[in-house]
Amino acid sequence: MTFLDYISGVPAYLEREWPDLLELTVEHLLVVFVTILLATVIALGLGLATYRNRSGARTVLTVTGAFLTVPSFALFGLFIPIFGLGAVPTVVALVLYALLPIARNTITGLRSVDPAVVESAQGMGLSRRQRLLRVELPLAWPVIMAGIRVSTLMIVGIAAIAAIVNGPGLGGPIFQGLSAIGTQRGFNLAFSGTLFVAVLALLLDGVLGVVSRMTTSKGL
Amino acid sequence: MTEHEQGTMAAAAPIRLESLTKRYPGQAEPAVDNLTMDIPAGEIVVLVGPSGCGKTTSLKMINRIIEPTSGRIFIDGEDVTDVNADQLRRRIGYVIQQIGLFPHMTIAENIGMVPGLLGWSRSRISQRVDELLDLVGMEPSAYRKRYPKELSGGQRQRVGVARAMSADPPVLLMDEPFGAIDPITRERLQNEFLRLQNDLRKTIVFVTHDIDEAIKLGDRIAILTKGSKIAQYDTPEAILTTPADDFVADFIGSGASLKRLSLSRVRDVELNQWAVGRLDDDRAHLRRTLADGDHASLLLLDENQRPVRWVTGHDLARSGESLDRVGLPAAATVEPHATLHDALNEMVTSRVGCAIVVDDQRRYQGIVDMRTVMRAIDEMREGVQARDRDTAGRPTEAV
Repeated sequence: MTFLDYISGVPAYLEREWPDLLELTVEHLLVVFVTILLATVIALGLGLATYRNRSGARTVLTVTGAFLTVPSFALFGLFIPIFGLGAVPTVVALVLYALLPIARNTITGLRSVDPAVVESAQGMGLSRRQRLLRVELPLAWPVIMAGIRVSTLMIVGIAAIAAIVNGPGLGGPIFQGLSAIGTQRGFNLAFSGTLFVAVLALLLDGVLGVVSRMTTSKGL
Repeated sequence: MTEHEQGTMAAAAPIRLESLTKRYPGQAEPAVDNLTMDIPAGEIVVLVGPSGCGKTTSLKMINRIIEPTSGRIFIDGEDVTDVNADQLRRRIGYVIQQIGLFPHMTIAENIGMVPGLLGWSRSRISQRVDELLDLVGMEPSAYRKRYPKELSGGQRQRVGVARAMSADPPVLLMDEPFGAIDPITRERLQNEFLRLQNDLRKTIVFVTHDIDEAIKLGDRIAILTKGSKIAQYDTPEAILTTPADDFVADFIGSGASLKRLSLSRVRDVELNQWAVGRLDDDRAHLRRTLADGDHASLLLLDENQRPVRWVTGHDLARSGESLDRVGLPAAATVEPHATLHDALNEMVTSRVGCAIVVDDQRRYQGIVDMRTVMRAIDEMREGVQARDRDTAGRPTEAV
């Protein structure tokens, strides 16, 4: 059978199976959402804590960078003895992957705020906290948002691999399909799983683009 | 007035710096070494000196952007060296060279920031914003909702000044506020700034490296050397007339006498008179006037007393030509608010060697010539020397 033969079988499959696939997509989305939420809180915290401290920032970037170099298969597997199977090890591993882009952009964004603007804020009597919340973060926000978008795109893809630890989402049909590759059913599963992951990634990126624009000041 | 006093100090407040010192770790020499200085309420005091002399560090210690290593700071008699720095800064206006407007906020939000921190009501803030935009010559309805990126450099600078004055602080600190602006706009902003200060009478500490700007803006100038040591602290007239030492003389530069001329205005000097006649007088009468005077030429005025031509006896003898066609045109006029520097410039341009002074209707008032200028310089020198004789013997209060 050629690739085209396989493809021609897909529409019928999708027509039959779309409610299940949609359910898996929602699961996938939920995993991504929780992951990015946690990762943003942690990475933003790390960035805020270290952006004015050279060695602190370097440590954060080195460690979060190191997580990204661990092959995803291995990282998910390593967590089985600690967290068992299912959603928990999935989210833990994904959060580790999502940290670097957000932390790096938080640090870069805060550091690129014009020192004159910060100094004038200080000279006007804004406290350290007010300076951060009212001046530095709003100015760094577009850069931080860009980091969140990168992490989100990446996590939508990697989340599929979580199926090896029985994680929720679209990884299930992809792995089932790969184990039966060579058959029409195997192709259907793997192809439609991948297709939905890709569509989800594009949709999320679009949504985040709109959110980013809406939450960024028109003055920037 | 009383409305804005809440949470701020009086309209203007004197500042006293006492043995202010800043040492940075790892540096042998202190950046600011034992600076003691009194800044009178309602005056513009300019700190000027070569780069690296510590003038900016000195300024930034007043609102404790830089914390002094030792020494005390008093504002309006109150020791503010150890009070809460954020609270202190809300009572001190601060303008820096880069201005540092918040790019993500509108002009109204930028100006309303400090009043907001001080807990003013929304309506009072918005009223204050409009008032300040008016004050700096920007139409509130046009600019309130704009963002800093939509403004020109000069407009940003105006907003920076408005923002610094938002809570009506008695003290304003300005660190080279006109430094990054093109010369023409700078000149205009300096004039506007002087006009504002004329009404507001804030205590202003102003840092610049430009001695001409210092002379133009300062009620007093402190010329600083390395470590913020005061080489001379006096009025611009006194500094230009009697520089304290070679350093000050060098710093003022070779044009000191010319710069001094920028400090006097034509209206402040006694004008000389020139022999004048009217265009419609008969020539015999004009010739007599010329012969009676000790000038080689006669200034002819029209029926509204406006200067028209310079004519000599030879010109008057040319009976064929009408009087408004002979001689030289009476150009080179100055108005009373012009400086002697401007008058000198006209004088040099004029072929007669003097500048004609006219009022705002262009009516003849008198003339300024080289003797007028020399007399003004002498008077300035004598004035400063007389003052120095008066104060000699008395303990100088760090001034």
